[in-house]
Amino acid sequence: MQLTWKDIPTVPNSNDLLDIVLNRTQRKTPTVIRAGFKINRIRAFYMRKVKFTSEGFEEKFQDLISGFPNINDVHPFHRDLMDTLYEKNHYKVSLAAVSRAKTLIEQVSRDYVRLLKFGQSLFQCKQLKRAALGRMATIVKKLKDPLAYLEQVRQHLGRLPSIDPNTRTLLICGYPNVGKSSFLRCITKADVEVQPYAFTTKSLYVGHFDYKYLRFQAIDTPGILDRPTEEMNNIEMQSIYAIAHLRSTVLYFMDISEQCGFSIEDQVKLFHSIKPLFANKSVLIVINKTDILKPEDLSQERQDLLQEMVKGNEAVEIMTTSCHEEDNVMTVRNKACEKLLASRIEQKLKGTARVNNVLNKIHVSQPAPRDDLKREAYIPDAVKALAKYDVTDPNRRKLARDIEEENGGAGVYNINLKDKYLLEDDEWKNDKMPEILDGRNVYDFLDADIAAKLQALEEEEERLEQEGFYDSEDDFDSEDEDVQEVQEKARWIRDKQQKMINAARNRKALKNGGTMPRSKLTKSFNEMESHLESLGHDTTTLVNKKNAKVAESRYTPTGADIVYDQTGATNYKQPAYKTDRLNDGINDGALRNKTDRMAKLQRRERNRQARQGEGDRHATASLPKHLFSGKRGAGKTDRR
Amino acid sequence: MASRTQFENSNDVGVFAKLTNSYCVVAVGGSENFYSAFEAELGDVIPTIHTTIAGTRIVGRMTAGNRRGLLVPTQTTDQELMHLRNSLPDSVKIQRVEERLSALGNVICCNDYVALVHPDIERETEELIADVLGVEVFRQTIAGNVLTGSYCALSNQGGIVHPQTSIADQEELSSLLQVPLVAGTVNRGSSVVGAGLVVNDWLAVSGLDTTAPELSVIESIFRLQDAQPDAISGNLRDTLIETYS
Repeated sequence: MQLTWKDIPTVPNSNDLLDIVLNRTQRKTPTVIRAGFKINRIRAFYMRKVKFTSEGFEEKFQDLISGFPNINDVHPFHRDLMDTLYEKNHYKVSLAAVSRAKTLIEQVSRDYVRLLKFGQSLFQCKQLKRAALGRMATIVKKLKDPLAYLEQVRQHLGRLPSIDPNTRTLLICGYPNVGKSSFLRCITKADVEVQPYAFTTKSLYVGHFDYKYLRFQAIDTPGILDRPTEEMNNIEMQSIYAIAHLRSTVLYFMDISEQCGFSIEDQVKLFHSIKPLFANKSVLIVINKTDILKPEDLSQERQDLLQEMVKGNEAVEIMTTSCHEEDNVMTVRNKACEKLLASRIEQKLKGTARVNNVLNKIHVSQPAPRDDLKREAYIPDAVKALAKYDVTDPNRRKLARDIEEENGGAGVYNINLKDKYLLEDDEWKNDKMPEILDGRNVYDFLDADIAAKLQALEEEEERLEQEGFYDSEDDFDSEDEDVQEVQEKARWIRDKQQKMINAARNRKALKNGGTMPRSKLTKSFNEMESHLESLGHDTTTLVNKKNAKVAESRYTPTGADIVYDQTGATNYKQPAYKTDRLNDGINDGALRNKTDRMAKLQRRERNRQARQGEGDRHATASLPKHLFSGKRGAGKTDRR
Repeated sequence: MASRTQFENSNDVGVFAKLTNSYCVVAVGGSENFYSAFEAELGDVIPTIHTTIAGTRIVGRMTAGNRRGLLVPTQTTDQELMHLRNSLPDSVKIQRVEERLSALGNVICCNDYVALVHPDIERETEELIADVLGVEVFRQTIAGNVLTGSYCALSNQGGIVHPQTSIADQEELSSLLQVPLVAGTVNRGSSVVGAGLVVNDWLAVSGLDTTAPELSVIESIFRLQDAQPDAISGNLRDTLIETYS
């Protein structure tokens, strides 16, 4: 259930609301009508405006209505509190007015949209829209008072203390000026105003405190005067409702020194008159201001009066305190809390389902001994000697956190995991350790007598060398040293020449020419073969493959060929019945050159016309210009 | 001593740490705050060490151990094993366990004398637990949950079990474990007490969300700072009834 209403949206006043909605309509709907718009479009234009405006209002009103709590849905305590503070009927009527305005605006919008459907002209449509918006504005203007009131309520609701009616509550009540607020100040951190006059506290105040690991709320109520409830003002009624609705322990405060301005008799009388409200509640009568007057010092009849309050009711007890001297304050508080807890638990333990749920959590099972083995706790003695870590102590132990902070904080500083190693020698901590994989590291592959084995190998080598095992058969020493020198020089010269030639070729190679990309260069098979061989690949299969391919593509001689082949001629011979029309009849030399030139000239025109050869006489479809360029009219494609 | 801390915004401290009577294993985190929470309480009494298990930070759930030994899952790398061996005292045995249920912290719940294990754990593992940790091993469930390690926080002086454990189950478990037991929650109502809390014989560390009543139950049942388990049904009774119903 909602306990606070801090997030109700602000309620604008009626004029602001109008401005907001109409402005929005102006901004978010089209604004221009042009001459020549069809009447349909004009109607749609204005209908949209009317609909949009009414939707804007409806949305705003809906937010308002749903933002405020429904007074019938909240806890009875809050309901009565709201009733006294805001007058329930007024509140309901205001919200109802808003709700009614919403329906009215819906209606107006519906009516005028219907009328707009039959608008005859631009002017008529426009006037209809004006009328619709005007009527909506009137409706909203009539909401001036409810909206202003709701805004007030909103502001007040947001500032109400968050009182949970179902939690553990101590309720402090009594005559004005008996020290209720000072008691709240003593037991909680709530900063309540304390002044030496009556009705300092005009509304409910809440403070929180902890007792027995539980959170309690203490509520300070305004003072109550002893008069019939009908005559009580709103301030007093808040106290009455708090006492009536909250399941709590009531602390009835009394001032027997009568400094508050009310006699003991009055105070006792008030107690008796509000007693009906204490049904099912534990009550503690707290006699305050004992620093001024103690109850023992009272006259006998007045003491009897006090005792009379307790009589016949076991739930009521009298305690004394002094908030001024902070004497006995905590005892009173604890007593009140105990009483409250006891009554709450009694209530809770009535339901069996709840009890079963909680029983195992308050039951400590003690072990039944199953053997005579002793299973003792293991607490090193050092634990007792260990000083408690205190953050405020300047000589406190330095923690990893402090070291991290000194070295640039989290994310910058990197801890050394090896720092905490427990090794025989602290210097070993940061030694490089071989990585281990599958349970093995390099050391596992080490041979203990590797030195001896190596020694043996070396000795054998030496022996073999001495025996001449490695001496080769040939003896090159006989070569003449002069010959060797000449050969050396010749090699050098050849090498040098080759380098010069290569350099010159490189220089020329790119003169005015482009470099061919490697992928376009052709390489012979031999080149590839030698290259592969130089790289150390075996090329035999490649060669075999190539040979097979070559053999396959070679011309296989037929019968006639074999006959002719007897002569041993390898070249293909021109058959006798065929003539060489290109070369026949023209001598090599000047005539041949001339014919070549003429042939070239003939080909030039032919190439220009993209003919395939001299026999190519193909004529493409030729159309007159007007038939294949520009726009064509209907029925003019065919020129025939 | 019972304290509250948090591992990188997670309240489940039992997931990221393992605390025993002779060592404390803490995950490597983004900052040293979590580590220092243990360091501050433990001082030099027992080593507090950083580690990962199988490259993860959930060291508390992956490992099981007590004063005598530490069991790690098969996924633990050799480097991590070496790091643990170098960091832990020689009196602590470290053993890699070939077990299909590799989150050993979830399936084994042990103190220095007794262990409760998952009913489906392998026989070899059971023997290893008995040998390495020096404990009696019982196959058990806690309130119908097979993950004994997750739902039970145990020391030599007491234990907290899953909040739904019936009283009969509690009595049975208690006579097996030979320590007083209580059903309870940690971290504002979390029922995974094993994962939300680490405890040894003189220190308990729970998540930052743990409420005051929860913490007082922890202190009482584990007899920390001279608190007694009787307090739960005595002093704390009212508080507990108020909070739990």
